[in-house]
Amino acid sequence: MSMDIKKRFVLLLAAIPLLVAGCSSQEQGPKIGRSQEPPVAVESITVLAHQTDGGEVLLVPATAIFRKGELSGIYVVGADNRLSVRWISTGRSINNNLVVLGGLDKGEIVVGTYSPALQEGVTVIKRVTAEDQTNE
Amino acid sequence: MNDGIAGKLAKQFINSKITPLLMVASLLVGIMATFMTPREEEPQIVVPMVDLYIPYPGATPAEVESRVAKPVERTLTEIPGVDYVYSTSMPDFAVVTVRYKVGEDAEKSMVKLWSTLMKNMDKMPSGVQFPLMKKVSIDDVPVLNLTFWSKTKDPFELRKTAVEVADELKKIKNIGDVDIKGGLKRQVKIVLNKEKLRQFNVSPLQITRQVQMANSQMTAGDFKQMNQEIIVRSGRFLENAGDVGNIVVGIYGASPVYLRDVASVVDGPEEVSNYNFFGWAAAAPHGSASGEYPAVTLTVAKRQGSDASKLADKVLARVADLKKSSIPAGVTVSETRNYGATATDKVSTLLEHLLMAVVAVTVVVGFFLGWRGALVVLASVPITFALTLLIYYLLDYSLNRVTLFALIFVTGIVVDDSIIIAENIHRHFAMKRQPKLQAAITAINEVGNPTILATFTVIAAVLPMVFVSGLMGPYMSPMPIGASLAMIFSLLVALIATPWLSFRLLKTEEGHQEEYDITKTGYYKLFNKILSPFIESSFKRWVAFGVVGLMLVGAIALVPLKAVQMKMLPFDNKNEFQVIIDMPEGTALEQTARVTKEISAYLKTVPEVSSYQYYVGTNAPINFNGLVRHYYLRQAKNMGDIQVNLVPKDERKAQSHDIAKKVRAGVQQIAMRYNANAKIVEIPPGPPVLSTLVAEIYGPTQEQQIALAKQVKKVFEETPGVVDVDWMVEADQKVYNLVINKERAAFRGVTAEQIAQTLRMSLAGMDVGVLHTDKELEPVMIQVRLPQSDRTSLQDLSGIFVQSQGMGTLTTRLRAGEMIPLSELVKIEEKIQDKSIYRKDLRRVVYVTADVAGATESPVYAMLDMDKKIEKLKVPGGYSVSPLYTASPTSEDQLSMKWDGEWQITFEVFRDLGTAFAVVLVIIYLLIIGWFQSFKTPLIMMIAIPLSLVGIIPGHMLHGAFFTATSMIGMIALAGIMVRNSVLLIDFIQIRRAEGADLKQAVIESAAVRTRPIVLTSGAVVIGSIVMLFDPIFQGLAISLIWGGILSTILTLVVVPIVYYIVEKKSAKP
Repeated sequence: MSMDIKKRFVLLLAAIPLLVAGCSSQEQGPKIGRSQEPPVAVESITVLAHQTDGGEVLLVPATAIFRKGELSGIYVVGADNRLSVRWISTGRSINNNLVVLGGLDKGEIVVGTYSPALQEGVTVIKRVTAEDQTNE
Repeated sequence: MNDGIAGKLAKQFINSKITPLLMVASLLVGIMATFMTPREEEPQIVVPMVDLYIPYPGATPAEVESRVAKPVERTLTEIPGVDYVYSTSMPDFAVVTVRYKVGEDAEKSMVKLWSTLMKNMDKMPSGVQFPLMKKVSIDDVPVLNLTFWSKTKDPFELRKTAVEVADELKKIKNIGDVDIKGGLKRQVKIVLNKEKLRQFNVSPLQITRQVQMANSQMTAGDFKQMNQEIIVRSGRFLENAGDVGNIVVGIYGASPVYLRDVASVVDGPEEVSNYNFFGWAAAAPHGSASGEYPAVTLTVAKRQGSDASKLADKVLARVADLKKSSIPAGVTVSETRNYGATATDKVSTLLEHLLMAVVAVTVVVGFFLGWRGALVVLASVPITFALTLLIYYLLDYSLNRVTLFALIFVTGIVVDDSIIIAENIHRHFAMKRQPKLQAAITAINEVGNPTILATFTVIAAVLPMVFVSGLMGPYMSPMPIGASLAMIFSLLVALIATPWLSFRLLKTEEGHQEEYDITKTGYYKLFNKILSPFIESSFKRWVAFGVVGLMLVGAIALVPLKAVQMKMLPFDNKNEFQVIIDMPEGTALEQTARVTKEISAYLKTVPEVSSYQYYVGTNAPINFNGLVRHYYLRQAKNMGDIQVNLVPKDERKAQSHDIAKKVRAGVQQIAMRYNANAKIVEIPPGPPVLSTLVAEIYGPTQEQQIALAKQVKKVFEETPGVVDVDWMVEADQKVYNLVINKERAAFRGVTAEQIAQTLRMSLAGMDVGVLHTDKELEPVMIQVRLPQSDRTSLQDLSGIFVQSQGMGTLTTRLRAGEMIPLSELVKIEEKIQDKSIYRKDLRRVVYVTADVAGATESPVYAMLDMDKKIEKLKVPGGYSVSPLYTASPTSEDQLSMKWDGEWQITFEVFRDLGTAFAVVLVIIYLLIIGWFQSFKTPLIMMIAIPLSLVGIIPGHMLHGAFFTATSMIGMIALAGIMVRNSVLLIDFIQIRRAEGADLKQAVIESAAVRTRPIVLTSGAVVIGSIVMLFDPIFQGLAISLIWGGILSTILTLVVVPIVYYIVEKKSAKP
């Protein structure tokens, strides 16, 4: 299958390798903004549009997606550097990526690899290390 | 002395043994009725409303309109009793809503509708499918919502649990509809593999046919043998996914092709069709889980006429039981709506208020008459109410906020009769001119007949309110009916029980033998001082009249000055509100879910919010509003609802309306970012309408209508205080129109129907049957569809094939079964989806809707404000559009606009109440003429009526309240009460004059003697109303009664005697 991946940035939202907050201490009241919890390091990528024979599509790595029954979710890093779950619908897979049909915008930053320890509302720190990945 | 009716009755009962028995019996039946009458929050309103869904597959909105909606509407308007007919013509189907006049019998209306529709079905064009008729009633609103949510389970498992629970709950008596919102159903998915289909030469249509044929079983008959009947059956239903996979769908070479060879058969959850989540918010109970969890909501409606709270309790008890069996660990069941509890809450608060009112009134009476007098009055109230409650029960009323308010409203009035009688007996006992029994009867005779008259004037005042028409009618009717009944009972109690009680309880003080002299009482001295100057000097008199007149004019002037604003009903303090999110048409489900989630995340931080659920792709459980607004149809992919639950009223300071106002900006800011329209929808205090502000735009063409609507919408948006602006015009949605190349299709032996069905099956999926399993409670559908990854673009359609019908079609030379790619037969046209066509009462209409909050809370002022701007709008043709208020436009040749929404109801209510008030005045006038046999005297008495305005209007300003429909009710009722005061006053003057007293003396004496009962009765009304001040809806009523009562009483005591003096002086002298 031929397709040209135009460009793909990998932002390494790394920094202080901290424990993923909230993974051990689970439910502690309905605190909404969990600003008190330490920031977490996650590897994230920006979602870019890719040209396929069917026009433009959005691709995310299959590793980024988690499933809850039939629902497919992905962690998105918001403008305020907080994680939130986004439910998406996915189409066919291209190499190790899945086509996102709904729920995600071009240019959004998503967590590249899903880990069950991730939690909504957790702040992440990002140090951007852009990496050019033209074609495989 | 000649005994009147009152005296005769009193003589019969004052020493009778039957009197106490009657009293006890009344109390007992009342208590019984209180427990047996069902309780609910909202009054039962029968608004027969029927939705007709008429499918016309393939038709455009314009076709649907002209072939289906229009003719159906025309025939439906012929049915007597039909009030409005609305229709929406959408691509492929029409929804026609028929609204009958309020109070029409629901069943009869359905039958009429059915027969009319059937009579005309033959005129429908072919292709129109059988209409679906759905009656919408208040009992469709779920009274209890249970949200099943879990950290570990997914929507599929949650739904399964909810279905099992629902099945159990259905067994409870008096339960209505039990429904499940959200979750994913079990489904057997036949996911087609395009490559395999082509490889094995099998078409999708062939698969459906084979599956349908395989899924059958029937009893063939029986054999008779040796005196025995042996049943013969054949076939076997599909029972599991394996059965489905083993169906032979074709032949390839010499071997059979099984379904599992060309498609994967998956037994499991259906494809994601909705996103429903539950989350605790800022004000959640301590220790609640944060985050949001997949949720499924089970809704429970009640059967008509049953008690919501009892049902809710039973359901909750059953659910608690099921937690041990059907509900697995890890699934939490949260109560997200319980109208039973809120009803009980409301009813007990009101009963509490009622008690407070009674106690307050008793204290006032005690202050004037001593504790014995108070006891007499106190005893008469429960008897009156007991009898009224019994009538409520017999008339099938429920205990709701309106029926109970009727009781609170009359608390101050029902004690009056007893007060007047008891007070007069007390006075006569104190005068000691006669022996005790004789004194009592004389006292009753003296005031008995005027009391009867006075009672009837009050009834005459409230009863005409029964004739309020429209949606508000059933809302209000319990008030006049309840109040009138209570008045009649109170009169009977006053004439039967009060004398009996007074005779035993009131004491004649022994010892004093001083002769009673009225001129020595404090009241006499007071009134002598106040009234004498006005009686003697005509200048002072006119100054006084001038001052009163100015006060009246000043009070009325507050209305045009907007110091007091008119509104139909203010918002009640509820525990919930909804956020309705509309994305532009054509938005993907996930995108809608994302916006909804983001708005929920904001709402979560609002300190008063305890929990929320959001529903995307399925509607939230409807409330009273949703019924009229068709929120139950909100199942499209671009629609999301958030149900926001607040902490109980007593745990927060802010009223729900203020919270709604507060969050609106934040919600809409998020919505705006995604081009969404978000509305904050509160539970309406009165009858629900489409929207608070509705502009109906009529015109010759849809384009012109939409163009004007766009301008009107802009005016709405620019007007301060107008919020939640929206219109019922869909956004442009891209449509790929696959046009069939007829020649080519014919040449290949493919029919248009084949193409359409194949496409539908591939994209939307097609249910081809039901899996026959015993265990499953919900039907498990077998669905044929392409996998999601194979239906994302037009390119994907290229791999879909249809089979040629072969030479049988006579148009082709191909052999049957030849595979033809779809892409070869269709041409793609890209266009914009046609807009739905709305019609109301046979006219095409475009709606622009909005709500009011903040700068103006009353739609009327916003409307007047916008009128000027709308008149300035430029329309093709160069005329100006001036909005209509009460009547629909006469022609559609020109663009026109009509205001609707809350205004329509406000207008109807105030019109009807105004008419009622006029009727009240006439009846009161007639009643008093009948009694006093004079045309003049009644007019003097009725002076008190306008005087009440002096108190009512400034009173509203003082409280910063709206002049509402309930204020109007208060004003009307007050007219009756005030006239009664005048009646008592003037009746005494006439008695004294008949006894030979001088006119001036009689006037002053009457004021002096009657002050106590008048102040007492008015005081009772005022004090009894104070508890109502704290209810947002009935505040207006309370203000009217309190301020109107106080001012009017003071002025009545001064003005009425003086006017009477002037009038009588002229006729008395010569």
